[in-house]
Amino acid sequence: MVKVHFLLEDLLVEAPAGTTLQRIADAAGADITFGCRTGSCGTCRVRIAEGLEHCSDPGSEERDYLRSLDAPPDQRLACQVCVHGDIAVDYLGL
Amino acid sequence: MTTLDALLREKVLLLDGGMGTQIFARSPTLEDYGSAALEGCVDLLTERRPQWIREIHESYYRAGADAVETNTFGANPLVLGDFGLSTKAYELNVQAASIAKEVARSFDRPRFVIGSVGPGTKLITLGHVGYAELLASYRVQMDGLLDGGADAILIETCQDLGQIKVAVRAAREAMAAKRRRVPLWVQATVETTGTLLVGSDISAVLTSLEPLGIDVLGLNCATGPDEMHAHLQTLSESSPFYLSCLPNAGLPENVGGQVVYPLDPAGFAPKVLHAAKEFGIAILGGCCGTTPDHIRALAPGVERLNAPQRSPKLERSAASLYQSVPLQQEPRPLIVGERTNANGSKKFRDLLAAEDWDGMIALAKEQQREGAHLLDLCVAYVGRDEVRDADELLGRLVTQISLPLMIDSTEVAVIERALQRSPGKCVVNSINFEDGDARPRRILELCRTYGAAVVALTIDERGMAKSREQKLEVARRLYALAVTEYGLDPGDLIIDPLTFTLGSGEEEFRGSAIETLEALKLIKAELPGVLTILGVSNVSFGLNPASRHVLNALMLYHGVRHGLDMAIFNASKVIPVAKIDPEDRRIVEDLIFDRRAEGYDPLKEVLARYSGRKAAVVADTRTDLPVLERLRNGILDGAKQALLLDVEEALADHDPLLLINDVLLGAMKVVGERFGAGEMQLPFVLESAEAMKAAIRRIEPHLPKGGSYQKGRILLATVKGDVHDIGKNLVDIILSNNGFEVRNLGIKQPIEAILKELKAWPADAIGLSGLLVKSTVIMKENLHFMEEQGLKVPVILGGAALTRDYVEGDCRRAYAGPVFYAEDAFEGLRHMQALVAGDSSGVPAAAPAAVASGEIKILRRGGAAVPLSASGQSSWVRHEETPPTPPFWGVREDAATTEELFGHLDEFALIRNRWGFAQGSQTDEAFAAVLRDKAEPQLARWKARLAAAPMLEPRARYGYFPVRAEGDALQVFDPADLTRPLARLTFPRQAAGRRLSLPDFFRADGTDVLALQLVTLGQTAADHAARLYKEDGYADYFAFHGLATELTEAYAELLHARIRRELGIQGKDLPGRALFAQGYQGSRYSYGYPACPDLEGNGPILDLLGGGEIGVRLSESHQMDPEYTTSALVAWHPQARYFSI
Repeated sequence: MVKVHFLLEDLLVEAPAGTTLQRIADAAGADITFGCRTGSCGTCRVRIAEGLEHCSDPGSEERDYLRSLDAPPDQRLACQVCVHGDIAVDYLGL
Repeated sequence: MTTLDALLREKVLLLDGGMGTQIFARSPTLEDYGSAALEGCVDLLTERRPQWIREIHESYYRAGADAVETNTFGANPLVLGDFGLSTKAYELNVQAASIAKEVARSFDRPRFVIGSVGPGTKLITLGHVGYAELLASYRVQMDGLLDGGADAILIETCQDLGQIKVAVRAAREAMAAKRRRVPLWVQATVETTGTLLVGSDISAVLTSLEPLGIDVLGLNCATGPDEMHAHLQTLSESSPFYLSCLPNAGLPENVGGQVVYPLDPAGFAPKVLHAAKEFGIAILGGCCGTTPDHIRALAPGVERLNAPQRSPKLERSAASLYQSVPLQQEPRPLIVGERTNANGSKKFRDLLAAEDWDGMIALAKEQQREGAHLLDLCVAYVGRDEVRDADELLGRLVTQISLPLMIDSTEVAVIERALQRSPGKCVVNSINFEDGDARPRRILELCRTYGAAVVALTIDERGMAKSREQKLEVARRLYALAVTEYGLDPGDLIIDPLTFTLGSGEEEFRGSAIETLEALKLIKAELPGVLTILGVSNVSFGLNPASRHVLNALMLYHGVRHGLDMAIFNASKVIPVAKIDPEDRRIVEDLIFDRRAEGYDPLKEVLARYSGRKAAVVADTRTDLPVLERLRNGILDGAKQALLLDVEEALADHDPLLLINDVLLGAMKVVGERFGAGEMQLPFVLESAEAMKAAIRRIEPHLPKGGSYQKGRILLATVKGDVHDIGKNLVDIILSNNGFEVRNLGIKQPIEAILKELKAWPADAIGLSGLLVKSTVIMKENLHFMEEQGLKVPVILGGAALTRDYVEGDCRRAYAGPVFYAEDAFEGLRHMQALVAGDSSGVPAAAPAAVASGEIKILRRGGAAVPLSASGQSSWVRHEETPPTPPFWGVREDAATTEELFGHLDEFALIRNRWGFAQGSQTDEAFAAVLRDKAEPQLARWKARLAAAPMLEPRARYGYFPVRAEGDALQVFDPADLTRPLARLTFPRQAAGRRLSLPDFFRADGTDVLALQLVTLGQTAADHAARLYKEDGYADYFAFHGLATELTEAYAELLHARIRRELGIQGKDLPGRALFAQGYQGSRYSYGYPACPDLEGNGPILDLLGGGEIGVRLSESHQMDPEYTTSALVAWHPQARYFSI
């Protein structure tokens, strides 16, 4: 099991390793807004404040999107990240 | 004495600002111009009011400018001719330059004079003026500027690529005649649409001008500094010339009938300096709306800048009027379309004989669609006037084709006329040494003058080079002449080592393919940088069409492996080598590599093997296959026309039911699997479905009475209150073309209506769709209702806002019958297939292989809910900023052109999201190829289609209202009477965390401003989409819908940008794509989205803005009609971002 800390509302959630951040956020009712849920609209952009190394690598869709914004590497799309260890998440949005 | 060149090596050069702005500030009268007929002839004021011009130059020099531009923007005979003053052109240029020089000399540090040459009033590319006339006119101006002492020539504010090339030539010829060489500068004007007025993008400009060896290439006018970023970046990365940037003082705005430029000196200078640092700009200044104060504000910053260092990398390219195309394509080769050639194509020859210019252009466009990168164009026809034909055809063609041209002629006069007619960078085909070097010299001279690349054949006085050694020897001689002597870039020399036919069987040519292939290798190794080309189809001359396709394809394949860069080829006939039958391939390769043996002659084998085989209509290896196999491939390739021919053939001796059930539906199943595996993109799937529909329609009349291929029935509907059609229609398309009978009830369907239909038409399942967040709730209510009715019919749910967890949890609990979630149309199809097979347990989702098991548990829900303020607002929001003041109160109307919308289009979102081009399991290269070969051409095609036919009528209304936040509500007041409330808008509030509600971003004291906007593409657009769907143009329907949706968004983005400018909060706007990701201050909220999910709010917005004035109505479910309409509330507050309730 991994722990995800949503910083904005100090919400701490436990989930099975390998779960997508989207599922965890949805299930826990975290304050993250999702749009297309396929990695191309960017509504769910987050900053991984801790534990970036516990996140799955970005796929091509997410990588292309973030690259188009010149986003720093700690920014990710919550709908694309699989969580493999403890992380802390800060919601940025579009 | 310091020269301009020397100064540019040391520092960033500061130019002046607007000239017109300063002249008009003096309010010239008829007296100043001399007569009413001369009013507006600003160039004449040099003569009549020289003191003004002197003062203006002086004020700019004093402000810190290193150089000023002469008052000669329109001083050429063509423009002055409108005032009857063409004979004064030379004199006015001499005077203007002399006056400026005189002022320059009165300063002690070096000051320079730049001779300004404007674009004139006639566009050569659109045929407003002839080449010779324009050249002569510019020559007079250049002569005058040089004689008056200008230190450089600046061809500026360029809107037409063709015009730039003429002006550059005029300047060169004037300098040569006067033996006085000064730097030659060019500045293009990129409109907000992202192109020059005539449509060229900046890469096309760079590619076309690069061979002309100018000194500076930059941008001026049209926009402010920020809007130039993308184009400056392109130039910064690729242009070998100094970069200049003279923007307007922001995007001009129309305020009460006056053109106003929004950037004052303090706002302008940092933006320009930022761009200078970011992009390595060498020359800065201002254009319209800038003043000596703007230049003064820039001066200290410019002094601190070092001379920029860039390492530009330029890809050798050719260019059309519109775009630049790299000559080295990845993957190789670049394909030159060969069908617009009177020597090679009978069809083209007949069209030429009939002078059917439109027919010839249609043929050119066809090749563009088929994937050609360049078009070979040859109008040589015995007995006709080739120069005139080239003139007539090119005059029409260049504005209609986005591919660069290869000018194919043996006549020097034809080549020259064609080069004058083509605004981009052409390739000339060709030179050789058959009659010595006199003719190649004349042609190379033209290449140098007009900036063209050239194809060079390995032919000399001895004839065509046959051995590899001889080919290399001639290639060396070609290189020495073109590159060493005439100064062409090696990458603009394209050597053709000749292809001979292997079909004749003549002993002399048996090894010719080997020699050609080896020569390719030698040339690439020995002459670095040069490119190679082959007329590949010559290799199979004399053989029958079926064998030609295979031999051509394999020769091309081996050519590329030996270093071939370009091939003249019929693009529609490129067969992937992998699709060639292995035995065919072995024999044909034996022919290419001359692997004869005792009793074995590959040529004889080829002749025997292909005798009687016919070439396919769509020309690939398809006809070699049995008809059922071809049907299958027709579906997989989405090749509707070919498929219909094959259907006819198959119907002759196959059971129609079997054709549908086993063959066509089997192929559609593969389509579904490929889509699921990420190997096939949605647009291709739709092409397959479209082909399927056409095939079924053709077969249906042949079905035996009572015979049905259909396996089951489904009722489809978009739920109550939701107008979203597209997702449901995609499901309809996929199911109905996979053997299911679909009754599509449409949008906004209350459950009562759906169940009534079910009674009349018993179905195996109901499919409910909806895009809105609210629709997910309606779906659950519908299931409750069905439960109360005691129904058990299976229900499949799909839609953007649904999640699998919600459907399989909440929704299943509401209803005793089976409930399934379908992530996409194909998962819906799998559910249907399982259901009719008697399995009501549902099918597993295809997607995530390893779904994590276990529960998600909340360990701590922190008490981190921020307190509400006394006025009931979230205390997370700061309120120290003063609200901006709008330029007017109340409502205004706006209309935009389709081009303007394209200027704000988020192409990434369109292609990836709306059009569904996803990488899936494809490699990066394969996906890049899909984007390049499919997605981008599709976008270009739609751009052209929308430009050609009025399918959109973009209109908008927007306005500013006084507003007061009252807890969870916004109270909107009448601008004319602040005590009169017009509307009260209420919003939900987050329960925890920041506890935000939209009104929190507005002040509670009544001093705030709410901006509202409403944009629509009009009824025309909605009608067009509906028509496409009705006509089963699935792919077009889907593409148009996606594009229209994004263009609606683009219009909203455009209007929002205007509102930010009008409120003076545009300072935080980010360049490029980042803008689409809320890269600006404030936010734009639309009803139906997470922060304000209730569509009821649309009513008051339409009332406040007078939506009826632009044909926007409210449906009973509070959505806006017509489709492709969107409204928004605009908050200016810096903390206003998207959030979810």
